Amino acid sequence: MIIRSSDQVPRTTLLKRFPLPRNFGVSKQSRVERGRRWPAPAGATRVKTFEIYRYDPDSGNNPRLDLFEVDLDECGLMVLDVLIWIKSKVDSTLTFRRSCREGVCGSCAMNIDGTNWLACTRFVSETREHATIYPLNNMRVIKDLVPDLTHVFAQYSLIEPWLKSKTPAPETERLQSPEERRELDGNWECILCFCCTSGCPSHWWNADRFLGPAVLLQAWRWLLDSRDEATGERLDDLEDPFRLYRCHTILNCTRTCPKGLNPGKAIAGIKKMMIERRS
Amino acid sequence: MSKSSARPLSPHLQIYRPQLTSVLSFAHRLTGVALGIYAVALVAWLTAAAAGSQPYSIVQNFMQSLLGQVLLVGGIFCFFLHLCGGIRHLLWDTGRGFELRAIYASGWIVVAASTVLTVAAWIGSSILAR
Repeated sequence: MIIRSSDQVPRTTLLKRFPLPRNFGVSKQSRVERGRRWPAPAGATRVKTFEIYRYDPDSGNNPRLDLFEVDLDECGLMVLDVLIWIKSKVDSTLTFRRSCREGVCGSCAMNIDGTNWLACTRFVSETREHATIYPLNNMRVIKDLVPDLTHVFAQYSLIEPWLKSKTPAPETERLQSPEERRELDGNWECILCFCCTSGCPSHWWNADRFLGPAVLLQAWRWLLDSRDEATGERLDDLEDPFRLYRCHTILNCTRTCPKGLNPGKAIAGIKKMMIERRS
Repeated sequence: MSKSSARPLSPHLQIYRPQLTSVLSFAHRLTGVALGIYAVALVAWLTAAAAGSQPYSIVQNFMQSLLGQVLLVGGIFCFFLHLCGGIRHLLWDTGRGFELRAIYASGWIVVAASTVLTVAAWIGSSILAR
């Protein structure tokens, strides 16, 4: 009941989804239809079903949900291993992003069993009996599980995530005490997987103008950096009813971060900083 | 830009897991809207009370019907849920309570406290009515 860290999978689920129709409020081209069933290969022992969102841009069809029966004895332990097995043994057109396979690059971020996580760090044993895999929420889908991250990266460049200073560069490094460096802990580790931003309902409703938890966590990281001298300008850029203040402390972001970071707390810190500089 | 608008949008509200975080936030907003409607009903009730015993008895009869009682309990629960949720928000505004453990603990406390307070209010009012 009490979740201690974001990697904790809930033991019981009262509601898998909100009691809404499957294609509630969805535009015609985004309607998800029933797809085909891919049965387990003969002689499969431990079989588990995976419902995976598929979309083929070349076919002109709507997205669909394919049901794959997977032999767990042939796969590795993680959901990414299952996806790779499906791609190599069952359907080679299954498309997804992946790179490090150890939870540090953020490529394989997707919606597994209703919450966003990295496929390479989610154990198959932690998924539901009939697992569901969708791409990151509220993103334009390029193909299958690959979302178009162009606009969220554009929002990231909007906060100017680099060191800004007026004082000329010193001969050696810009020095920082250990305490000042420790303030950045919990903020620099973000891998920009965008699990939090795509899980934020406020970003669902205002994706064009609200920056989202990932970007705001980085804004906080630059506001906190003792070497950065543009704190005032950074706060000025956030003086907008949408960029920062669409955050209503829903806190889905903190719950879903695969790196255990706390964007909700960072955003609260930014809001406090905004108030404190007025007085 | 026509290519990006031709691409489908991945589902969000339709498939995301309802968690304590999002459900309580939605409940806070929903109870806020409900309380706004109840405020209008409260004014109507007070106006009927001021207007005299005949119009008041009409309102009285509705309030004592099953639907009226259900709406009354619902309204009391909305009030306490919004109140406890509001205190949780004020706590967050001080910057406290953002660790995941604290978020879940405070969330369940809000649910438990508003249930207990609703039951207490209901029992208290029926004792007072006697």
